[in-house]
Amino acid sequence: MSEIVISIQDVDLNFPKRRGLKDLIFGIFKENKVYHQALKGINLSISRGEIVGIIGTNGCGKSTLLRVISGIYPPDSGTCKVQGNISLLAGLGTGFSAHQTGRENAILYGSILGYSEQKMIDKLPEIIDFSELGQFIDEPIRTYSAGMKARLGLAVASAIQPDLLLIDEVLGVGDPSFRKKSTDRIMEMVRQAGTVVIVSHSFGMLSEVCDRLVLIENGEILVEGNPEDVINVYYQNKKSKKE
Amino acid sequence: MVQDGPTSSLRIVGEKSSALKAPFSNFVLLLRNKFLVKNLVRRDVRSRYRNALLGYAWTVIEPTLLSIVYWFLFIMLAGNPDEYYAVWVLVGVIVWSCFGKSLMASVTSLTGNTSVIHLVFFPRIIFPTTAMVANITITIMSSLVVVPIILAYGFPFGIHLILIPVGIFLSGIMGMGLGIIFAPLNCIQRDIEHLFRFIVRAGFFVSPVMWTYEMAMERGVFGEIVLWNPMVAPITIARHGLMGKWPDMPLEWIAYSVCMAIGLWIFGNIIFDKFEREAVKHL
Repeated sequence: MSEIVISIQDVDLNFPKRRGLKDLIFGIFKENKVYHQALKGINLSISRGEIVGIIGTNGCGKSTLLRVISGIYPPDSGTCKVQGNISLLAGLGTGFSAHQTGRENAILYGSILGYSEQKMIDKLPEIIDFSELGQFIDEPIRTYSAGMKARLGLAVASAIQPDLLLIDEVLGVGDPSFRKKSTDRIMEMVRQAGTVVIVSHSFGMLSEVCDRLVLIENGEILVEGNPEDVINVYYQNKKSKKE
Repeated sequence: MVQDGPTSSLRIVGEKSSALKAPFSNFVLLLRNKFLVKNLVRRDVRSRYRNALLGYAWTVIEPTLLSIVYWFLFIMLAGNPDEYYAVWVLVGVIVWSCFGKSLMASVTSLTGNTSVIHLVFFPRIIFPTTAMVANITITIMSSLVVVPIILAYGFPFGIHLILIPVGIFLSGIMGMGLGIIFAPLNCIQRDIEHLFRFIVRAGFFVSPVMWTYEMAMERGVFGEIVLWNPMVAPITIARHGLMGKWPDMPLEWIAYSVCMAIGLWIFGNIIFDKFEREAVKHL
């Protein structure tokens, strides 16, 4: 068994429920639940070199789990331990400032993702080249199409190889020709990264690349194991719910 | 941390030191993330006057127009103001707007950056800090308007002019300190934001923007009460600096204002550090 790089123990995470003024006043008299349990007693260990997929219905806590691993939400109880530098690939191009040029935004986005100045200087030509923006790189971002923004976002986000790569549904951005390129790029990152956790709905891709799948339902790990078995459980669950 | 075999090099996600150390550790964090801070400040400064033909000139035009309006208003209401009255209003507007903008930017620093907060973790104190630095930068740019004033009115050029950026800096720190105390609360209920927008607007009148420290002093007891407003000192020292003299007000009131600014900033850092993590769950 190789080294464990992500170790999640009994992690609970509660989201506060938004309450209106009426609830706030009358809530004093009622014993109502003010929390929504997003994650309940999650236990998960991921070893170096593993590619783990997380599946589940919308709103089951998949993205929340990735955010806990990357440190965005501190768990309410339990611990989450990681090793090495983490990169979360989600919502490509977040934090772009519409009135700055593509080049300035690439640098801004890179610094938001935690790249050092030197790394950014080194990687910038490669980023611009990969984004296929040509002379548009010196135009303000507001003139870009959604696909162009996504391309630039991916180019920056994939410029540096992290030890732990967390991917949240970002496969297949841009126009068809770039979609292939972006999927290839992410797959290349997946192969090169030490360890990968992917949240996705494309089961075909997941069963192809993942060593292990984890099925989450209502914030709890329902089952984990080899991809085919877990996907079967997912469909059985869905079917039994319909009946 | 327990050293347990292969997991010994694992680090606990989101572990942090005591909130009481926050004001000091935040300095270290800012230094460590200086590339990010630099880029965020650049973003804030660049986007302020986007798509404007006159661009950064607005940093000067806006306070100038405002002070002309107040000058007319004052002549109508009181008549016969001090010959420099328009200049004092201009300085007041510049220093006050630095406070107001730093305050609002700090209060909304978490709510306004929701998308970035959901994407990546970095010390969130960076958001209000960069907003404050950007505001101070813009305000100092707008204070260049004093150069033609000095020439026109024949004020002495000299070391005293340093008091203008000092006043701006003091008000920026005060705005941020006060703002970050309430930034986590604003994630939970946005009412805070609206309340503070009102406070900034009302504070304009209870601070020496349209009036001066000297005018207040002529009113006796009223003047004494007014000194408890910590914004009196930053605006007054900037005016005195422009006039070419060292602050001509009791030193203890300047010290009071400086202590308020630093105290609010330290207290704000502690509160922000303590509650920011729970607060972002409300976003």
